[in-house]
Amino acid sequence: MPRRILVLFAMLAAIALLLAACKPAPTAEPVQEPPQPPAATEEEEMEEPTEEAAKEGETYYIGFASAITGPGSSLGEPERNTAEMIAAQLNEQGGVVGPDGVRHKVEVIIYDTESNPDTAVSVVRRLIEEDEVQVVVAGSLSGNSLAIVPVVSEAQVPYISMASARAIIQDTETGETRFWAFKTPQENLHSAKWQAKYLKAKGISKVCHLFENTGYGKDTNNQAKAAFGPEGIEIVYEDTFERSDTEFGAQMAGVQASGCQAVVVGAIPPGASTVTVALRDFVPDLPVIHGHGTCNMAFIELAGGAAEGVVSPCGRLMAVDTLPADDPQKPVLEKYIADYSAFTEGEPISTFGGHAWDAMMWAVEALASLPDGMDLDEQRAAIRDYIESNIRNWPGTGGIFNITPDDHLGLTFEALTFVKVENGAWVYFPESAW
Amino acid sequence: MNRFLPPWLHRWTGLIWLALLLASVVLLGQRSQYGPTQYMQFTMDGLRAGTIYALIAMGFVTVFNVTGIINFAQGAFVMLGAMLTVTVNNSATFLPPAPRLLLAIVAGIVGTTLIGLLLERMTIYPARHASPLTLIIITVGDFIALQGLALIAWTAKPYTLPAFTTLQIADKTIRLAGVVLKAQSFWIWGTTALVLLVLGYFFERTMTGKALRACAINRLGARLMGISVSRMSLVAFGMAAALGAIGGIVVAPTTRPTYDMGLVLGLKGFVAAIMGGLVSYPGAVLGGLLLGILENLAAGVTKAGLKDMFAFLLLIIVLLYRPHGILAARQETVEARQP
Repeated sequence: MPRRILVLFAMLAAIALLLAACKPAPTAEPVQEPPQPPAATEEEEMEEPTEEAAKEGETYYIGFASAITGPGSSLGEPERNTAEMIAAQLNEQGGVVGPDGVRHKVEVIIYDTESNPDTAVSVVRRLIEEDEVQVVVAGSLSGNSLAIVPVVSEAQVPYISMASARAIIQDTETGETRFWAFKTPQENLHSAKWQAKYLKAKGISKVCHLFENTGYGKDTNNQAKAAFGPEGIEIVYEDTFERSDTEFGAQMAGVQASGCQAVVVGAIPPGASTVTVALRDFVPDLPVIHGHGTCNMAFIELAGGAAEGVVSPCGRLMAVDTLPADDPQKPVLEKYIADYSAFTEGEPISTFGGHAWDAMMWAVEALASLPDGMDLDEQRAAIRDYIESNIRNWPGTGGIFNITPDDHLGLTFEALTFVKVENGAWVYFPESAW
Repeated sequence: MNRFLPPWLHRWTGLIWLALLLASVVLLGQRSQYGPTQYMQFTMDGLRAGTIYALIAMGFVTVFNVTGIINFAQGAFVMLGAMLTVTVNNSATFLPPAPRLLLAIVAGIVGTTLIGLLLERMTIYPARHASPLTLIIITVGDFIALQGLALIAWTAKPYTLPAFTTLQIADKTIRLAGVVLKAQSFWIWGTTALVLLVLGYFFERTMTGKALRACAINRLGARLMGISVSRMSLVAFGMAAALGAIGGIVVAPTTRPTYDMGLVLGLKGFVAAIMGGLVSYPGAVLGGLLLGILENLAAGVTKAGLKDMFAFLLLIIVLLYRPHGILAARQETVEARQP
């Protein structure tokens, strides 16, 4: 018997070792060094008469961490690609030039959060303490970002998140803005306000709300309740489903029995797609309204035709071709799409990469505002102040940002636009066509 | 609970519980004015889900009968079957859709079976002298390892497999008296019926099948008769992998396969197997169907989001009151069959 127990312990120890070995300390994924030697850069600078004589200051570092692997990798990969793209562009330009004319190289240090809050915290600590970065852009998922917030607050480092939860930038209980944290993605409340606007325009007062059984889904439900009530829209039936569900008869019976006039869904693919297929089978006459979690091609592909006619609030990035020409974001969006497609050789565009672009560009702009000769703590404080007071009327991929000390996102619900699935693609769906 | 009832009621307790359950379902359904159409819908949904659980449960039974261990890697076989099929179907674009799907399905089953065989030789066979508990922990490790590898190979992206009837993602919908059915459901039922027939033939008519049964009845006795138990363990894992893969493949068009689809399906299959007593194929099938119908009925009349909770509640109830399965006679124990 003792031998058996010994064997058992040995096996457990082996498994523990194996697990430990499978999870190596996150290694840096340093951005490609410029292929040309420094001499070439100097030559280039000398060719440009507008630039002042090459006075080179210290190198700035942007710390970047996204969910490159793990369940959040569909978000983290386009974000990483975007960060690499911006790093390459900065390299080409030779970095940023401060207000005093001093040129600084900018390096982007990229880590993988593995979609895991613990790893996210440890890589961010490493960025702050060992790599001594001026600013941190990190966190693809809300949970990871929320775990990072205390770390950056304690270390007093400006932090820009690429995840959507309001709690990242604001203490939801006290309503206090988190001093060091900013974020770029739109929120579920913005989606819910659009949905309410659409429902009201359509004269619908009774809706069903179906949402996936995740943190994201529950948040869509809470925000829908907050936004629909004041508009006189009642949620007469609500229920959840799992992302992997194959049967929806229970939810559909509830929808049919409730007598609602439209179904609002709070989910991301694949759940958003499978529930749409079921809705088309059971209640083909009810309008289906999604949230901005479905704003990608995967939703349409996975729904296999059932997505046709679905409407949703979405970031402008997904429907850029059908946007009116005077949209102030259009040039930014078109440039991002062209740059990203060229850099990744045709990877599909996603709004998540756009969130990373907005965050990185804030960081770069703030770095360019720093005069030479500050120490690290002063630089970090100055970057935070710059973002809080200078990102005004700033057209990004996610909307026109107006950051204030009270709002570290700075978007209204109109940052999203309204779109419809037509012939297997998201197209702009203006209010005049409702 | 049972010991407080008069003895003549004992043999009816199961039926009484079932009647109480159905009565409460109807009572709860009254709130939403559910009629026969809704109950039919829940039952058909349950039959479809239950058939998948039954296929997976039969994999648990096969391995448990021969080796006496619960193979928690079964869920990974389900996922691998679906994912390999999807991959082959997406890459063999030189073929027209129908033969391509057929090739993909065959490749999915064969590939998963090979992985099952390899898994047995690499992780179970070397530890064959260890206690069942150790082996069960190894299978848990196998599951985690396979799912981790699947995440690397396929990422977290959801995939699609065309429905067998239309050969497109959108499946044919059949409406019968208000009940919505998908054509894929008939493929699921047909496939499972075929699998049962093949299994029946295999266990009754072939030497290997009889040897497997001998191992299940008495391992020591089987070994004394010259049956290699370690070879039978290999066969059992191969069969379990194939059964899991078939389950994963037929369910794939109704869901959107991801690397982590095996966890919930595997656990539900385990619940079905436990309901069937872990040793019997008819028990596993009945357990699967009952699990599917009960969870869909219960979720339908309460909250759909509680479906998984009902499934695992059922597991607890069965383990407490019917630890040897719903079909088992009272005195028969698993221990008695597994010396």
